[in-house]
Amino acid sequence: MNKKVAFCLDLDGTITREEILPLLARDLGLFEEMLALTEATIKGVIPFERSFKLRTMILNAIPLSRVQEIVSQVALSPLIVDFMQAHRENTFIVTGNLDVWLKSLVEKIGVRTFCSLADYKEDKLIGVREILNKGKAVEQLRAEGFEKIIAIGDGMGDVPMFEKSDYTIAYGGVHTPIKTLIELSNVVVFTEEALCRMLNTLL
Amino acid sequence: MQNVEHVIISCAGLGSRLGLNKPKCLVEIGGRALIDYQLDLLKDIPDIRIVVGFMEEELIEHVRSIHPNVTFIRNPDYRTTTNAYSLYLASAMLKEPFLIVDGDLLIDRQSFHDFVRHIDGSCSLIGITPSKTEEAVFVLLDDENRVTGFRRQPRTDYEWSGIAYLKDITIHREGKYVFSEIEPHLPVKAEVIKCFEIDTPEDMDVAIRGFKTLGY
Repeated sequence: MNKKVAFCLDLDGTITREEILPLLARDLGLFEEMLALTEATIKGVIPFERSFKLRTMILNAIPLSRVQEIVSQVALSPLIVDFMQAHRENTFIVTGNLDVWLKSLVEKIGVRTFCSLADYKEDKLIGVREILNKGKAVEQLRAEGFEKIIAIGDGMGDVPMFEKSDYTIAYGGVHTPIKTLIELSNVVVFTEEALCRMLNTLL
Repeated sequence: MQNVEHVIISCAGLGSRLGLNKPKCLVEIGGRALIDYQLDLLKDIPDIRIVVGFMEEELIEHVRSIHPNVTFIRNPDYRTTTNAYSLYLASAMLKEPFLIVDGDLLIDRQSFHDFVRHIDGSCSLIGITPSKTEEAVFVLLDDENRVTGFRRQPRTDYEWSGIAYLKDITIHREGKYVFSEIEPHLPVKAEVIKCFEIDTPEDMDVAIRGFKTLGY
């Protein structure tokens, strides 16, 4: 590697094969409703921050331990996870999702994660302390000495990350990437295989 | 096609001389788009990169439905840049040799396969084709069938096809034409490829007439 490269990957619909929040809502019998809200957010119909707060309020009825259990079973993209695990020092999960929900999943993948922060008490979520701006994660990595930052994502929440990165890949393996993100991207791919082949040439 | 790992198809341009409101690679001959025939020829190459620009959404949708594993490289500056710039965008990080193909070509199946068979991975290979028009980039050949020069005029028997296998040839960001990027590396081995380039409505007529001889 000539320059110090960082790969910043969105979680939902990029590393995971499905959106996490609708899966959680299934426990409350609100899967379709949460899916609709999540899709509207990915497309930028509702601003991420507002939508996220609303969605977490709906989900705080579920005990945190149950949430972690569901999240740890979410289907992952195997090739992408392999790539991340082969390059642990250079890959980062960048997600708006909450730290307390992701704990077990992040441990399983085993790379550093930038995410939103929750307030909680024992097994219950109380509120959202800080929602991650994905652009800030890129700035943080740059401050740490990463010279070439590559962003991979699919939705509106990834726009700030794409704006701050050096090379950007819109990934349509799960959802078709939104138009705004495609317009900010250098590369567009639709399969895990094509994405990982590209990532390997960027090392 | 085990001897080629990467191919870059440039499809970003406007195709203004043809005057159809679509990228040239989506122009249909014999009931299918040019890009369909190309993807059929190239389907066994692991890394297919298509540079998109003009009407990229339509082009991406079309290609994706045929070949989901394609990587799309965006050239949003397609109006003010050349093919060489598109190839620069797609090849900048590639360390291995790659094949380049112009998106506006209708290529004879057999002669393309013959061309690929002549790629041995140790050196570059330039595709040349019998000269058809006056507005081409003509090639000068030596006795060993190697390209020794490119020129606009006077005409020679063969012209630059827009197809080449490039090994250790870098396409620069400021490069104006693809052939001028190859020039410093001459002489380079050549192979004849039968193909039709679609630039104008007249080219289109010629290609339609020649279509049935192409093996599709």
